[in-house]
Amino acid sequence: MAVKIEVGAGGVPHNQILIYGLVGSLILIYLTYLNSATNTEYFAFFGGLASVAALVWGADTIKHLCSYGLGTGVPSAGMIALGSGVIAALFGAMTGIFAPIVAIIVAAIIGAVSGLLANHVVRMDIPVMIISLTELAVVGAITVLGLIAMVGGTFDFQNLFGGGSVSLGLVIGSGVIALIFMLAAIAIQHAFNACLGPDEKQDRTLMLAAECGFLSMIPIAVISFAFIAFIPALISLVISIVGWLYTYMRYIELSKRDAYAWLDAKPILEPKGGA
Amino acid sequence: MEEIVFGIGITALAGALATIAGAAEDTESDIGSQGDPNSQVQLAPQMGYIHRIFNKAIAGEPPAYGLWVALGAGLAWAFMAMQMNPILAIVLGSALAVFVQGVYATTAYLGRTASLAKFEQPVYIDILKSMTTVTMAHAFIAIFATVAMCHLIISALGHPFPLPLLGLVWGIALGAAGSATGNPFYGKERQYQEQKFGAGVPISASGNIVRYAEAGERNSLDNGFFSAKLGGPASGICFGLIVFFELWRTVVFEPLAAGWGAIIIGVIVILIFAVIDRYIEVWARNTFGPYAVPEVPEVPEEASS
Amino acid sequence: MSALGGPAQTAGFQPPTGMGIAVSIILIIVALALAFFLIQMAGLLALVGIVIGGVLIGFGVHFVPVGGAPAAMGQAPGIATGVAMLAAGAGLAGLFGGAWAAPLGFPLALAGGAIGGGLLMAITCTMVNVIYIFGMGIPSASGKVDKDPITGDTFPEFKSQGTEGHGLPFISWVGGVIGGALGGLGGTLIYLELLEVYQAQVLVSASIAVSLAGVFAIGMFLMNAVLAAYNITGTIEGPHDPKFKRFPRAIIASATASAVAGIFAIALFEVLMVFIESNLMGAL
Repeated sequence: MAVKIEVGAGGVPHNQILIYGLVGSLILIYLTYLNSATNTEYFAFFGGLASVAALVWGADTIKHLCSYGLGTGVPSAGMIALGSGVIAALFGAMTGIFAPIVAIIVAAIIGAVSGLLANHVVRMDIPVMIISLTELAVVGAITVLGLIAMVGGTFDFQNLFGGGSVSLGLVIGSGVIALIFMLAAIAIQHAFNACLGPDEKQDRTLMLAAECGFLSMIPIAVISFAFIAFIPALISLVISIVGWLYTYMRYIELSKRDAYAWLDAKPILEPKGGA
Repeated sequence: MEEIVFGIGITALAGALATIAGAAEDTESDIGSQGDPNSQVQLAPQMGYIHRIFNKAIAGEPPAYGLWVALGAGLAWAFMAMQMNPILAIVLGSALAVFVQGVYATTAYLGRTASLAKFEQPVYIDILKSMTTVTMAHAFIAIFATVAMCHLIISALGHPFPLPLLGLVWGIALGAAGSATGNPFYGKERQYQEQKFGAGVPISASGNIVRYAEAGERNSLDNGFFSAKLGGPASGICFGLIVFFELWRTVVFEPLAAGWGAIIIGVIVILIFAVIDRYIEVWARNTFGPYAVPEVPEVPEEASS
Repeated sequence: MSALGGPAQTAGFQPPTGMGIAVSIILIIVALALAFFLIQMAGLLALVGIVIGGVLIGFGVHFVPVGGAPAAMGQAPGIATGVAMLAAGAGLAGLFGGAWAAPLGFPLALAGGAIGGGLLMAITCTMVNVIYIFGMGIPSASGKVDKDPITGDTFPEFKSQGTEGHGLPFISWVGGVIGGALGGLGGTLIYLELLEVYQAQVLVSASIAVSLAGVFAIGMFLMNAVLAAYNITGTIEGPHDPKFKRFPRAIIASATASAVAGIFAIALFEVLMVFIESNLMGAL
């Protein structure tokens, strides 16, 4: 009864995406540090871009993991990724400039433990389980950290108690962190969940992952008006909207390319073999 | 005393908002075809049944509504922090959350349908044009009502959670209640309308969903019209009762017995629901009555509801 | 969840590997030692509470009757939604009640959490039966057992042909309420332990402590619920289902995952203090 999960073959190898995703998001997230260096908030949007890079990588990881069939839905992988990721991200955020690196290490530890438990205790016995859950936890941590940096202008929580930025305390205290958590949890799983099927194509799935990332940036940019100055928040908003429009258009084009037919107000076409 | 009366008023209002939210949530998810019944919409083309039904695969309803409501609540919080009037803030926050929901809905339909090209399922772009706005409208009602309810719980009843966190909690609960109650009605009664009433869908019939309507071809708006008759209202009652009893037992009975009053009343309410459940279960067994085992199950008399 | 119902793994009960058990025990001991090292007895007790909370969640998920996609067609008994998410709905509703009752003391908050989760499941399960019976004319019939262990009802003559059963028999109803109550209890326990640790920090304002504890409680809840859902491969009928016997695996997994995630959550502000002190040293 269950619909078999099939994925398309080919495309860019996963390891290449892993390296680009990891290095790219790490560089982008460190670019938000320009805020502290130049004492402005104009570079907050780099946090959002870091999460887009991480989400593209995460979508490819989920594709690898879920092609084995988990017995429960694709979204569960996103939940476990963000459940581990949010703890790692906030733990990392306490360590100042080392935040992204510490968050990645902690996320890798929690993710690896979850994977080990899933394979050796719960006995899923899926070959890529440990490495996939490790990657997903890291993706979750980077995404949360990136969106925190975008909404508050920095990922450095020491400012919180050092008399510096009050706004970061608000990011936590107001519960916006809960929203970031859920935004990332849906974005990470949506690309593969929405594109699965026998004619799944990697470029389309990854384009959708980028679209989800930019789409998640839009509400975060709107909320950042409450935390950072007007002009930096406006820059974030414009970049998110432009990025979203571009990826959304590209995604529609790719869907048009892959669809069997692209019809407007036409009746059901019965298949040639007959129903 | 006055405080308790005020609390009861807020409880009733929150319960009413939750009822509206639950009804809108289930109708929305059925128009978009989200959650477990969507597996059949996904399966049908693989069995050779090409259809014109929306295919909104955005995760199950609980995580999806967890996001929409948390998003509405987070944006409303941010607008309120910018000194905006709460009602306007909640409306604007819900509107933006609905925008995100609508975009997710379109990408899910395009993605799932394009990946079914092998089975000759075309993308009907007019489905997106005519139905996305309808699901968005229903989602707006559900999100607005839930965020407003969360705002009431915090500002009038003094719950310690901040608005977005409470939105996440009640959003997931809304999705859980709505999907649990509404899914079977859409999945069995609507998608498999041609199958016998009063019996489960045989596994051999999987994928053979109803694709033609009274006039023309069935689309998801017809499904919304159908769920709004029973599945939607039942989901609304379910979520409304949950919110109402949860608040009522705390607001009214917490002062009793050093706080244990609320717990005792909670246990009593659970027991009452146990009796109701057992009563209707026995009623169904006696009324629909044992099926003849080797034969095709008889169609029992139509249940009066 | 959507489109992906049905178990992928049909083999019987496979016990955890020796390596899995050994690693779990080592990790739990290391985490407890770290907690003791960082915040002495309070930390140790808090971590023990978090581990118990995680175990309760993992165990509770096994009681929740979830049929997944086939249940939506009346092809299998249970509630037609995803197991991790239904448990999360109940557990978080419990967390709502527990957090509200937190100022009234520990036992009352825990009881409030359990009742909150149980209440959600009681109402939801009843409404599921209302829809099955009055909307679809389908009586309850379990597919896994012939007789309800509580009421003694027999099922085979009520099962429609070509299905594995349908509806929500009374044993599943009871299982759902127990599962919701355990989930609410576990979630609230994690929340209260973390709240206590964070409130002990002088630098932390009340709202930050509540939010952090709430978000971490939700995060750990979802981790444990998903691990338990993997354990039952998606669908289960309740405590009478043969799959229920797999629960020891989920208990080991939940305990270890909660211990590892919990130690990072507990150590959060200790790390912050270390870094602030070193910064001050540098500044001086």
